[in-house]
Amino acid sequence: MPVRDLLSTSSKLSPFQPRYEHLLLLVCVLGTVLPLGVDCNPSAENHQINGTQKKSFPVLSFDYLHVRLPFEIALWILLASLMKLGFHLIPRLSNIVPESCLLIVVGLLVGGLIKVVGEAPPVLDSKVFFLCLLPPIILDAGYFLPIRAFSENTGTILMFAVIGTLWNSFFMGGMLYAVCQIPGTGLENVGLLPSLLFGSIISAVDPVAVLAVFEEIHINELLHILVFGESLLNDAVTVVLYHLFEEYAGVGSVTFMDVLLGVICFLVVSLGGVFMGILYGLIAAFTSRFTSHTRVIEPLFVFLYSYMAYLSAEVFHLSGIMALIACGVVMRPYVEANISQKSHTTIKYFLKMWSSVSETLIFIFLGVSTVAGPHQWNWIFVGCTLLFCLVSRVLGVIGLTSIINKFRIVKLTTKDQFIIAYGGLRGAIAFSLGFLLDKHHFPMRDMFLTAIITVIFFTVFVQGMTIRPLVELLAVKKKQETKRSINEEIHTQFLDHLLTGIEDVCGHYGHHHWKDKLSRFNKKYIKKCLIAGERSKEPQLIAFYHKMEMKQAIELVESGGIPKIPSAVSTVSMQNIKPKRALPQLSKGKEEEIRNILRSNLQRTRQRLRSYNRHTLMADPYEDAWNQMLIRRQKARQLEKRMTNYLTVPANHPDSPTMMRSRLSSDPQGYSLKLNSGNVPAIVVDPATPQSPESMKLQEESSKPGEEDQGIVMRAKLPESSRTDDNVFTPGEDSPKEQRLIRCLSDPGPPPEEEKDDEYQAFLN
Amino acid sequence: METDQCTLYYKSKTVNSALSRTEWIQLKEVLSFHDWKLVTLALPKSCHLSSHQITVSSSHICRLYDRFHALDKDDKGSLNRSDFQNISELAVNPLGDRIINAFFPDGMDLIDFNSFVRILARFRPVDQNPKKEPNAPEPINSRVNKLKFAFQLYDQDKDGKISKSELLQVLRMMVGVQVTEEQLESITDRTIQEADLDGDDAISFEEFKKSLDKVDIEHKMSIRFLR
Repeated sequence: MPVRDLLSTSSKLSPFQPRYEHLLLLVCVLGTVLPLGVDCNPSAENHQINGTQKKSFPVLSFDYLHVRLPFEIALWILLASLMKLGFHLIPRLSNIVPESCLLIVVGLLVGGLIKVVGEAPPVLDSKVFFLCLLPPIILDAGYFLPIRAFSENTGTILMFAVIGTLWNSFFMGGMLYAVCQIPGTGLENVGLLPSLLFGSIISAVDPVAVLAVFEEIHINELLHILVFGESLLNDAVTVVLYHLFEEYAGVGSVTFMDVLLGVICFLVVSLGGVFMGILYGLIAAFTSRFTSHTRVIEPLFVFLYSYMAYLSAEVFHLSGIMALIACGVVMRPYVEANISQKSHTTIKYFLKMWSSVSETLIFIFLGVSTVAGPHQWNWIFVGCTLLFCLVSRVLGVIGLTSIINKFRIVKLTTKDQFIIAYGGLRGAIAFSLGFLLDKHHFPMRDMFLTAIITVIFFTVFVQGMTIRPLVELLAVKKKQETKRSINEEIHTQFLDHLLTGIEDVCGHYGHHHWKDKLSRFNKKYIKKCLIAGERSKEPQLIAFYHKMEMKQAIELVESGGIPKIPSAVSTVSMQNIKPKRALPQLSKGKEEEIRNILRSNLQRTRQRLRSYNRHTLMADPYEDAWNQMLIRRQKARQLEKRMTNYLTVPANHPDSPTMMRSRLSSDPQGYSLKLNSGNVPAIVVDPATPQSPESMKLQEESSKPGEEDQGIVMRAKLPESSRTDDNVFTPGEDSPKEQRLIRCLSDPGPPPEEEKDDEYQAFLN
Repeated sequence: METDQCTLYYKSKTVNSALSRTEWIQLKEVLSFHDWKLVTLALPKSCHLSSHQITVSSSHICRLYDRFHALDKDDKGSLNRSDFQNISELAVNPLGDRIINAFFPDGMDLIDFNSFVRILARFRPVDQNPKKEPNAPEPINSRVNKLKFAFQLYDQDKDGKISKSELLQVLRMMVGVQVTEEQLESITDRTIQEADLDGDDAISFEEFKKSLDKVDIEHKMSIRFLR
């Protein structure tokens, strides 16, 4: 493709590099923008169906109207994605300026272009924003919320979210009202209630903006979760305050009764939202228990139930954001235990994709709305708003921290406080709420909107751009890059138990005590209901170990097979990466089955062009590969040489999608291969010393071949029946094949035919 | 058994802590007015932690003493193992026995209040701004001492290393019965391999400390109650 060549050549000409890419961007922008402004001309010929004259049959006609809406939506999303693409081609820019700023600038440009063309640029419609653009971002945040950090800091987060937001709203509202009362500013018509309403709109820290900026600076987990958690939980406060003031601004006065009702409303809104989320989360978890036969639609359940939780909460004017977070948090441990590896990957990447697109669209639309929206600039009002925003945030953080530090074990330092105060960014939620105001009740709505936009611009541009150098300057602790090791996991659990015990000795019902009680309750009752089959009894440590081993197996294979046989590594560990469908004995029936498989395998390679059925997944490669492995082992047990065939599995290109995926894991519980040179961990290939029969484990295949694939599970040792030498399971020999299988399990990479071909070829050897 | 003479320094008044119950109640009333005054327990040189200064606030001493008496059902002034075993939650705790044993160092069968507080003082939150005198011994609730306590729970035979069998025991206690021996062994091997830096197939205290570098021990091993 000429464009690609252009890009590749341009990358070699470094000084000229920006030009070509800018050209490309400009072309794309123009190409996407112009149709947005074009007025369509329905062809006149089509209307004259009943005309007396016989017209020639229209071979090619232009009818834009009937696809206008989806076309425009698609164009906008395409524009957003191309912009994102473009930024990362210019690394210098994306290092200095956070993406959100660039996107707003693009939005401004696009809005300007549309205006120049003569059309009215679309404004960020609040309904679209709240119902379509916001939920994916919140769901992504909630599903991947780091629970441990969040639960340890819940008190702090709640203090900041509730008390902090209340303080901000009232301070802002009050001060603005005072300023407006000063004669001569021309703002006397701004009453107390409207200014309080404005204060409540502008005071909420915005999760979208915080996410966008904080994700790029990789700050340490504590600060991240504090600011981010605050931005999520202040939704309830904002909702209540907004509705309270909006209702009564028309009336003009608020009585004590109203305030009391407001407080009750706050409790109802927040707790109701959380309850709604938990309800939907449990239903989703329960549903996922039965999806083993329809793996394709598993991700859909996750998304749908979460979205329903959000919408149901919105029906009752409860806090939709909290419902969504609660749903994601509750659902996750059970759903992940039930769904297949592929569905897990799908969910992860879909959430990331949607939230990324949403975020981009929001910022672009903010820019466009700035150009479009009716503005009423008032120097004093806007200036005071900005000033009071900053002042109230700083005062609020300092005041609250001094109270909070009395109760915290690890106190917040001044540096932490500064970052928390500085990270209080405002964003699109404030704008949308302002946009929702009714012009009749609030004649000063335009002024409000202008002020809101100014504050948003200031926080996103100034604070967003300067926070990174400030973090460097203040030497704030950064995020730990390496993931948890098994040591940490074991010792952390050990310490949990220890601390629970000590708390019991002291008679003090602290954090550990309740956590322990909850996890025990969870294990005893809830897991049994919500997790299918054997997984419900699996201890957490074992699950963690499994995940770790599997990831390492995948990565080891991806990085080019086993280069050399590592020494001093436990050979038993490989035995334990055992799929549920373990080796059966070779009874007569099995032999028959194997022969059938052989036959069908031979057939399959001939039937490469079979019909594609979109309702079923391709036959799980793991299943088939396992059966073939059986056959292979039967035939080639003694042949060491055959193993070297598999040992030299051609390595994937280092930047293969699989490698990237395993690297781009955003799962905090995930981890990556620790590259300890020389101490390559547990995956072992030990062809030289076949295992003695005593250490072999044979497990009865308790299920029929057609049973659901439950992924990797450790099972209790079952009584073994008599085994012959033929059925010896040599883990050493099988490890590379297992790894290939594990690789098959996790990556959709090469098409199945190719894989089967490989194995078939090897089998024929 | 030599009872440690613990002296409570309070407003330059030296109070002997081997008090009778009524004396203690009187003292408590006095102490409770001055919550933030720190009370220093200075230990005599004879005890093995002699160089440590333990500071627990006075209100917490009161609470701990109440708890001590609540556990001491027979009112003998000291606790034995069965008193601990009466705590119901400890029975369910997988590490219950080890924790109880940690309270009875050196094979003693009874502990008095001083030792009780001494052990619990380890779990006090770390002072953010310690006044560092050059020769002052490290406070008992420092990170290193907390880790030492945890290490001692692993290391039952007190050889300064966590061997494979010790780790296996702990894992077995934590994980329960469903997991087979081989699986636990492989986890153990993996763990030791990851942490072991000098290749002796066991985890020494230094290696233990290093593997927990990233974990926030000051937060994790502190009980708010004992500030």
